[in-house]
Amino acid sequence: MRLSFVGFAWRNVWRRRLRTALTLCGIGMGIGAFVALVGFSRSFEHAWLEMYESAGTDLAVVQKTFLNTSVDQDVAVTLGKIPQIATAAPMIFNMMAVTPEVNTLVYGWKADTFEFSALNILSGRHFREGQQEALLGELLAGSLNKKVGDTIDLQGSSFTVVGIYRSNSALESGAIILPLDEMQNLSGMTGKVSAFHLQLKPAPPGISPDQWRQQAEDAVEKQLPGLRAIPAAERASNNQLVVLAHAAAWGTSLIALLVAALGIANTMAMSVFERTKEIGVLRAMGWSRGRIMFLILIEASALGAAGGLVGILLGWGALHALAMLPQTASIVAAGLPVMTLVEGLAMAALVGVLAGSIPAWRGAQLSPVEALRHE
Amino acid sequence: MSSANAAPQPFLIEVRDLKKSYENGTIEALRGVSLGIAAGDFLAITGASGSGKSTLLHLLGGLDVATEGSVLFRGQPLGTTHNGAATLDLDTYRARYAGFIFQSFHLLPALTALENVQVPLLGHGGDRHANREEKARALLVELGLEHRLRQYPTQLSAGERQRVAIARSLIHDPQVLLADEPTGNLDSVNSAKILEILAQIQQRHGTTLIMVTHDLNIAATAHRHVAMRDGRICN
Repeated sequence: MRLSFVGFAWRNVWRRRLRTALTLCGIGMGIGAFVALVGFSRSFEHAWLEMYESAGTDLAVVQKTFLNTSVDQDVAVTLGKIPQIATAAPMIFNMMAVTPEVNTLVYGWKADTFEFSALNILSGRHFREGQQEALLGELLAGSLNKKVGDTIDLQGSSFTVVGIYRSNSALESGAIILPLDEMQNLSGMTGKVSAFHLQLKPAPPGISPDQWRQQAEDAVEKQLPGLRAIPAAERASNNQLVVLAHAAAWGTSLIALLVAALGIANTMAMSVFERTKEIGVLRAMGWSRGRIMFLILIEASALGAAGGLVGILLGWGALHALAMLPQTASIVAAGLPVMTLVEGLAMAALVGVLAGSIPAWRGAQLSPVEALRHE
Repeated sequence: MSSANAAPQPFLIEVRDLKKSYENGTIEALRGVSLGIAAGDFLAITGASGSGKSTLLHLLGGLDVATEGSVLFRGQPLGTTHNGAATLDLDTYRARYAGFIFQSFHLLPALTALENVQVPLLGHGGDRHANREEKARALLVELGLEHRLRQYPTQLSAGERQRVAIARSLIHDPQVLLADEPTGNLDSVNSAKILEILAQIQQRHGTTLIMVTHDLNIAATAHRHVAMRDGRICN
């Protein structure tokens, strides 16, 4: 058989199967944690974006700097006078523990908001303002075993379930929608909303949609100091829940990746130590220091990449499990975002190279004679 | 055809006042060795343990650098520094011109016999040796191992392992072959076989053969014999 350089590296990794398998498990756990956690937070963000896009939201008006934004409901009057804006829908959102096991998003919407256009009422009807009535997403209704006519207790008040709806967004399908005024009472936000979601009029001839949207953003900033209008995509990534989810996911993943890197470094250091004599033989045959270093780095990155594949499978499995749990089904989709998959593999290879670099350098520095004498 | 006034043939390898010490000079392994080895020569280096014979072989093979003095290959100094003269890099020297045979064979356990023989050519990068498998196979066949190509070192006898190691040392057509006690781990039958193979290689290919041995009977089969004692040549 014709021996290739990469094949030679792979033989070196594979010859100690148990250690390699254990190292792969370690890397797999690290990358799996990265894929599951970052995939979860991305999925969460994607669900928000899907929700805005399916409802036809062009812009959201929020406070300039606060993530947990609160806007006076009176600004609706000013927004109504901005020529680019067709509709301004006030809304509130918050997280609520509806049972000890199930946390869900709760929205406060006006009964006539355009955002209902993205929902399909499966049973029952829309709520009426000023009434303690609620709409339940089908995912949440399923996990709470609620149907139209049942009641649900929120913050000590009893709400009647008047409708069950379906949404393209997992986030919305696991949510509760209340009349805005009832939601304001429940959350102590009388006269306040979380944001206004805007639909713009069609851009007039001669003005591109981007220019039209920019004009709307500028008008909001000019006429409502302290507020800003942001595109739906930015709103999806900048809301406080998504920001917190991203921060927690990356922080935890980095710790897991550090542990994985230490595992590779330990494996490669042991491997170099055990193969000192072999490295001496390779040096005696004219292998340069650079070539020895390259060999060990290839071995480390092969470990990293193989561990990355294991991790992606683990992470994908974890995301599937989360998508089925009632506590998280509403905020995570089972699919693995492509970006997370690519990042997971790249991260694994990078961790492999970085963790292997010190053992590789040490291996390359061995003197041929001393290495050959090593016992 | 010969000529009475032809220029003397330069040495393939020349050693000038070679000294090697360890541990800040407290241990002197070589104390000034000078030697010339012609192309196609078969030189045996003998001596007791600690006489400096292996150290000399390592310096001749570019595995180590001298504390003082120099080793010249085809007139070019080996190593990185030599009074500003152009030198031959040790890695390049070992990769292109020198082949090694060790007492303990030093085959790589994860590779078959056929793969072990190809290892030196993997050290150069790229794919310059597209026919390396065919070459390795031909060498093993030449050494009578055509039925052992796919065996791992643990599946081979000691004599077979040393023959694989010899094939490995020849894969890049070296000009000088350095053997450190090549029969030290072999029984008398296998020793005789290995010595016969080395002699044939030296005669057939004109390869310069330098062999370290403590066995004077083996040394007697060489063209020249250098005996060492206390870091010096003593004959």
